[in-house]
Amino acid sequence: MKVQLDSEGFQPPRSGLMLLQGLVALIFLVFALRFWYLQIHKGEDYARLASDNRLRQEQMYAPRGLLRDRYGMLLAENRPAYGLGLVREDCHDIPSTLAQISQWTGIDLTEITQRYERDKRKVKSFEPLILVPDISFELLAAVEANINRWPGLEIIVRPRRYYPSGPELAHLLGYVSEADEKQLQQRPELALGDTVGKQGLELVLEDRLRGQKGLRQMEVDVVGRDLTHHILRAPQAGENINLTIDLALQHKAFEMLEGQSGCIVVLDPDTGQLHALVTAPAFDNNAFARGLTGKEWAELRDNPRHPMQNRVIQSVYPPASIWKLLMAGLVLEDKVVDPKETVFCNGRYPMGNRVFRCWKKWGHGHTDLHKALVESCDVYFYDVADKIGIDRIAEFAKASGFGELTGIDLPHERSGLVPSREWKRKRFGEVWHRGETLNISIGQGFTLVTPLQIARFIGALLNGGKLLKPQILVDEKPLVQHEIPIGADARKVILKAMVDTVDAPRGTARRLRRPDAVIGGKTGTAQVVRIVGEERRKKEEMEYWERDHAWMAAWGQKDDKRYVIVVMVEHGGGGSSTAGPIVKGLFDYLFGVPGEAGADSQ
Amino acid sequence: MSPIDRRILTHMNWGLIAMTLLLFGVGVANLYSASGFRVDDGIAVSSFYSKQLLWGAVGMGGMLAVMLFDYRHLKSLAWPVFIVTVLLLVAVPLFGVTVYGAKRWLSFGFFNLQPSELAKISTLIIAARLLSRGGEPLDWGELFKILGICLIPAALIVTQPDLGTTLNVLLNVGGVILYRGIARHVFKTCIIALPPLIPLGWFVLHDYQKQRILTFLDPGRDPLGAGYHIIQSQIAIGSGQIWGKGFLGGTQSQLRFLPEKHTDFAVAVFGEEWGFIGNMILLGLFCLFLLAIFNSARDAKDRFGSFLCAGVFFYFFWQILINMGMVVGLMPVVGIPLPFISYGGSATIVNFCLIGLVLNVSMRRFVFKAS
Repeated sequence: MKVQLDSEGFQPPRSGLMLLQGLVALIFLVFALRFWYLQIHKGEDYARLASDNRLRQEQMYAPRGLLRDRYGMLLAENRPAYGLGLVREDCHDIPSTLAQISQWTGIDLTEITQRYERDKRKVKSFEPLILVPDISFELLAAVEANINRWPGLEIIVRPRRYYPSGPELAHLLGYVSEADEKQLQQRPELALGDTVGKQGLELVLEDRLRGQKGLRQMEVDVVGRDLTHHILRAPQAGENINLTIDLALQHKAFEMLEGQSGCIVVLDPDTGQLHALVTAPAFDNNAFARGLTGKEWAELRDNPRHPMQNRVIQSVYPPASIWKLLMAGLVLEDKVVDPKETVFCNGRYPMGNRVFRCWKKWGHGHTDLHKALVESCDVYFYDVADKIGIDRIAEFAKASGFGELTGIDLPHERSGLVPSREWKRKRFGEVWHRGETLNISIGQGFTLVTPLQIARFIGALLNGGKLLKPQILVDEKPLVQHEIPIGADARKVILKAMVDTVDAPRGTARRLRRPDAVIGGKTGTAQVVRIVGEERRKKEEMEYWERDHAWMAAWGQKDDKRYVIVVMVEHGGGGSSTAGPIVKGLFDYLFGVPGEAGADSQ
Repeated sequence: MSPIDRRILTHMNWGLIAMTLLLFGVGVANLYSASGFRVDDGIAVSSFYSKQLLWGAVGMGGMLAVMLFDYRHLKSLAWPVFIVTVLLLVAVPLFGVTVYGAKRWLSFGFFNLQPSELAKISTLIIAARLLSRGGEPLDWGELFKILGICLIPAALIVTQPDLGTTLNVLLNVGGVILYRGIARHVFKTCIIALPPLIPLGWFVLHDYQKQRILTFLDPGRDPLGAGYHIIQSQIAIGSGQIWGKGFLGGTQSQLRFLPEKHTDFAVAVFGEEWGFIGNMILLGLFCLFLLAIFNSARDAKDRFGSFLCAGVFFYFFWQILINMGMVVGLMPVVGIPLPFISYGGSATIVNFCLIGLVLNVSMRRFVFKAS
């Protein structure tokens, strides 16, 4: 093959060779410098950016502590709740997705949209924004079947508080619900959608029940799928707490109050422990944990019987004849009159141009202190009260624990009212009238007490004069707040009178009698409407709202078990007839039904 | 075809062969990692690396084929090849297939031909042939003639649109012209006249191309869109730090934050996993590879051979510069792969064939003296 040589002894261009070498040197230099800059000078910054890319931290819910009764029955537990959340980043058409949620759940679209608008700034676009915290099981199935058609929609499983006995303990346990704006700001450990205790023990015990959230690190890929989990901090469950409440007793008491407005306290006088704390009407605290709709909330709020009110500590009533126990203590301690000295009761007690009446129209006849307590004679106490005067009565009542908080571990307790000369001047700018002292003496007039204050006072009569803090938590020791100014002898007299109120033929609490236990009681009928006419109207004729409140304060002892029971039935009419059967039913539960097998051995 | 002379083996550019195979090996290993992605319990690897091995084998076959015939025959083939290339380029807008909004391919049933790849080679050959006439530095007349001829395929390619290949073709020719040397006064005029012309180029660019340049100047203006490639690629490389995250250990690539990781951004995966040390070794390999081609250009027995080698030198040089420049954020995003490191069938085959051309020139250095 013939090959043509175009240039024998060819020399490559010198400048060209230098150019190529220069370019190689340049490329090396430029990239070496750049790699040094990226990987060494800024390497740590980029390493951090790479971690931020792939590592996401997620909080792990800590289960809230359980609440149990004194025998270990569950009062509050955690159950999985299925909610609907929306990941904004993945959702193509937010308005129609919201509309679909509204259609599924029946919740008003404006309500869902409001929630969405309110929370969208607080949740990152790749995190689910919870729109409906809790949906029913039936709905869950329907949603799950269609969820693929709604990108961005997710079913969120979170623990939800559940109260197995619902309304029966709603006021005592309170409830949890989603933390509001203020709480979110105050407590940095809370995240949007976290629940916190809002009422009752859930609120009071919040710090113990809450536990500590865990932290989990996830490695995600570019589409956000999590590939590995790594627990940085394990969640710590909240503390489980036992209450002094006896769930079965609570249940029994709640049943007996059903349909009425009122409350029941069952107290161990020696420890201050509450065995039952019932109030009616009640509400279902599960509804709050689930998330109340606006309509449900309005119904609860506007109900004239105030189902949200914990009547044991938040309602105040005139103590009525129960107050005579305190007055008796005062008579005995101050020795104003000899307890054996009698006052003649003919049913009337005139003072000035007014006539004060005894509840018994024709009077009790000759009445001493004991008879005045057993048969609840008003005229006897009118007479002694006029001798004692309001100043001393107010002082003595305050010393006996009225007009002050009992210190129970529940929020919004009211202290009631012990009226005095000074109080009236400040409150109304008026002077005190002698006649008012008479009203005070039988527990009417301005005096207001809570049922729990009465129970605590009765407890002090039994336990040696100590006013104990009413306890709800099993692990707390009895706490003496102060002593009542009623000595041992006086207490004995009063307790004897209470026993006779049950046992004596004319006693007002005879229905409580039982052969196997010592029972003491005192009834009370608190007037709601000032009595103007000569005759008291028959209960049935009165409109509900004008009917008297029925009180009964009782105690019972069988073997080594002692209980104080206070029952208040609003607008229940006579104390003995309405409140009495409830007290009797509770003693039947506590001591067994007399005559039935097991009643004696219990 | 002349029988194989023993001196062919003794004058073989073994250094170039070694560098090429090393780079290809690194590329395949890196592809293995780059095409892997983390799944629930391990790493799933796509088959890119094995396909790349196949392309490499085909390429080496092509390389050997290119070495068999005397490169001087290319001189007479330069024009016919060039004319066929231009005809194919003209056919693209008429009969081509559209992929990703660009018409670059001609379908031949069993395989798709990309005439612009062919254009890179044929312009190299025609430029070498045109430049090998006469020994004096180029004057205006010669310069315009060569540029005019090479602008024909460039203009056809830029309309496809394929800015990367157009640039590559023009820069290759420009490189060889500079290697050959131009007259001093021509050079001076160009130095003064060219810079004011650059802004005019702005109006030739498509919107997406302008966008890329703006994004390059400020990646933060669209961090999830156009700037995403640049940012993620720098994060990948930078987070490798000195020693890297280890083979298969790159989180940016395994978790798919890094886009185009097996093609244009393959070297970012390498940088993440092997760190600064690895990058310096790779950079060193590339420089030695370029120097090996340089040796062939220097030692070639005739002008045509020397210019062919210089053309191949620039062919690789520009790709390395532009691709790595883009990956480390020194240049706008232009779709140019990194030779032997990025995945790509036709590019790999062409790369090997061009190495074969350089080897052809170097091994026939002394053949003709003897015959």
